[in-house]
Amino acid sequence: MKALGKGSVASVVEVVLRIASWVLWASLGGLAVVAIAYAVIYIMIGAGWVDASTLAGGGFRISIFGVDSDAIGDVRWADWHVVVPSLLVVGILVGGALIVVSRLRLLFDSFTSGEPFRRENATHLRVIWITMLAMEIGRYVLMAGAAAMLAAVGPAESADITISIDFSNWLSIAVLFVLAEVFREGARLKEEQELTI
Amino acid sequence: MAIRVNLDRILLERRMSLTELATQVNLTLANLSILKTGKAKAIRFSTLNKLCRVLQCQPGEILAYEPSDDDALEEAADQAAE
Repeated sequence: MKALGKGSVASVVEVVLRIASWVLWASLGGLAVVAIAYAVIYIMIGAGWVDASTLAGGGFRISIFGVDSDAIGDVRWADWHVVVPSLLVVGILVGGALIVVSRLRLLFDSFTSGEPFRRENATHLRVIWITMLAMEIGRYVLMAGAAAMLAAVGPAESADITISIDFSNWLSIAVLFVLAEVFREGARLKEEQELTI
Repeated sequence: MAIRVNLDRILLERRMSLTELATQVNLTLANLSILKTGKAKAIRFSTLNKLCRVLQCQPGEILAYEPSDDDALEEAADQAAE
């Protein structure tokens, strides 16, 4: 099976990325609905229109990379100091993943058409590594913020948050940075070759 | 670009059309047009050889160097790099 062009590995990956994009959009939509509903219920409880026992349910576990879920324990909907940072972290991760997947789709779209060395592809790769860098830094900032918030208002044991540094992410960012420059140079050489008479 | 292509002047002197030249040097009209309008980034020796043979001229008659502002900027950048 060939790597580029129609009916190639690139076209298969492009289909997978399209499905991933739909799933991510659905997740982002679901997350937005949950966040809006949560905010509305909280405002209604604050205004005294709804009984506070509306948020008594829950008791679920959340799993966020870098956060010890045992330290947080069972999360209840009423624990806004856990729910709000969690929604933020998930929102940023899903949003970032959506940017990465949409740019990867554009990249694989051009790979499928059989023309990998285009100037836009270098830009797509650049956007991907910058997004991944922002997500990685944002993750540390949010974890630190969540820890500080839990220490201030949450139960004492829930402030035990471990921030782990994932070297594979940093390596991916470095590789993408180099690849973006390789594609830029490739596109320049292709342009030059096309304009050599 | 500081390199000017004098193909239109030579063609006028030889009373030859671009299409005729394209046929004789075995190049596409589109490529020859890119060369004539100065949009080309480079020219192969083989192309230059064919052009000189068909037009009965020297490479210096087809190409001419004219210093431009871009050259001054490029020179400054080269000096800064050193």
